[in-house]
Amino acid sequence: MKLSEEEIRKITFEAISELGDKATPEAVKELVRRRVESMGGDYKLEKNDVSSGRVILTSFGLNHPGIVAGVTKALGDANCDIQDLSQKILGDFFTMIMVVDISASQKDLKEIQEEMNKIAELLKIKIYLQHEDVFRYMHRI
Amino acid sequence: MPYEFGEILETIRMTEIEHFDIRTVTMGISLRDCHDRNIEVTKQKIYDKILRYGKQHVKLAKEVESQYGISIANKRVSVTPISIPFDACNAEEFIEIAKILDKAAEEIGIDYIAGYSALVQKGMTNGERELIKSIPFALSQTKRVCSSVNIGSTKAGINMDAVNMMGEVIKLTAEKTKDNDSIGCAKLVVFANAVEDNPFVAGAFHGVSEPEIVLNVGISGPGVVLEAIREAGKVDLQQLSEVIKKTIFKITRAGELIGRKVAEKNGIPFGIVDISLAPTPAEGDSIADILKAMGVEDVGAPGTTAALAMLNDSVKKAGLMASSSVGGMSGAFIPVSEDMGMIRAVQAGNLSLEKLEAMTAVCSVGLDMIAIPGDTAVTTIAGIIADEAAIGIINDKTTAVRIIPAYGKKIGDFVDYGGLLGKAPIMEVRTISSAGFVSRGGRIPAPMRSLTN
Repeated sequence: MKLSEEEIRKITFEAISELGDKATPEAVKELVRRRVESMGGDYKLEKNDVSSGRVILTSFGLNHPGIVAGVTKALGDANCDIQDLSQKILGDFFTMIMVVDISASQKDLKEIQEEMNKIAELLKIKIYLQHEDVFRYMHRI
Repeated sequence: MPYEFGEILETIRMTEIEHFDIRTVTMGISLRDCHDRNIEVTKQKIYDKILRYGKQHVKLAKEVESQYGISIANKRVSVTPISIPFDACNAEEFIEIAKILDKAAEEIGIDYIAGYSALVQKGMTNGERELIKSIPFALSQTKRVCSSVNIGSTKAGINMDAVNMMGEVIKLTAEKTKDNDSIGCAKLVVFANAVEDNPFVAGAFHGVSEPEIVLNVGISGPGVVLEAIREAGKVDLQQLSEVIKKTIFKITRAGELIGRKVAEKNGIPFGIVDISLAPTPAEGDSIADILKAMGVEDVGAPGTTAALAMLNDSVKKAGLMASSSVGGMSGAFIPVSEDMGMIRAVQAGNLSLEKLEAMTAVCSVGLDMIAIPGDTAVTTIAGIIADEAAIGIINDKTTAVRIIPAYGKKIGDFVDYGGLLGKAPIMEVRTISSAGFVSRGGRIPAPMRSLTN
């Protein structure tokens, strides 16, 4: 649902008059949610501004057992959905690329990145997590 | 898989190995509503406004960095040319304003704030004269403030009185900051045809036709272009131009994405992406190395100007295709101190000031970060500025002079600033005099090109 400017202004004034000095981000959020719902709209606060919710995970390193297991387990634990996976081995060198949907995860991209950094250190590989958009912008017109 | 294996690895290689980064996200803030009769109130208004818009700038930019895995080297702020809203101030008051800009920049956690500027291509108001007089003091008493003065344009010609003044200002700035290798001059740019939406400090300012607030982005990435050229191997120049364009296309797209996201997070409009190739002192992040990879033995060899012209043109063409918001300088920068390859060429005696001047006719800006002997005459510096401005106004392009007459230093010495400003060998300047010409003063009339209507 899209609010008109008039409606947004109305809600803003209501928030000011009702909360006044007591306004906190939570209180404002709660009030806006109630107002929007009472207007018959569905209130969804974006968890983050990731447009598609998909990220690309790239990992490299010397091949050894347990890499895929280590990475996928952590993703599974964080409730991330692996939508595509491609893996290659060149000599001793291992490369894996995944398309991961993190929109259902309780963690945001930054937390998952931190998690992956720990795993990368443990498995002695490199892991990069980047939002899908950067690849879309660079390689698709 | 929605993307090819190779495509993903290419992006990773650019960001992780070839130094592709966003050089700067610059928030342009209008200060036109900050004037007050009382200078203390003016200062408070400036401080409050910069903090209001800029407080989250660094934090939000860092969030975008980690989200997309592309680093943003600098987060900066540009403001309305200070001489415009505060035209009623005198030199002392302008210095006070510089100090408050410095303080605001420190508070929001940025390294440079630009816009201590005046636009005097046709003539000067009293306030502009005062501001120009105050520049050496402002730059020596602050750390983060950058200044620029526009002394010529295709439409107005060259204001030679202003050129002469800037010669004096540069010399005095060098002296006032002599304890730090005359670093004040590294924060002072003299322009012809200055652009209003340039995100690159030190020459950035928030032009008078710009909105209340805007976010501009400057990309970088000489390392990426260098690798692409090396990989292309022995191909002819038409094919080489294609290689450069393909690479620039990709980094412009990424640059625009990052700029738009930072703007979105700040809740402010996105302005332009400046597709300039800006080198850094890091190894491999060099325009000089690109020119060498294109085939000249060293920068300065005959053919260098042609190679640079082709590089600059290819950058622009690819950038225009990649984004509808291309602005700023958009081309290749050729600073000396910030580019290891340029430094080496100067040291080897292959690159002279005159050859650099020729190169500025086809690069995106001008004589940039060039150190010259401290005893260079004021009129000689004015002559250098006039030459550079002439190239700009006749060719309808931006040119700039950021020159450092390093106090007490002579040929063979170095100025060393560390960080992104790098280090520069003192270059030779011809000692034959320009005095008779520049001291005539007045204005060089606008060229034929100005009469396009």
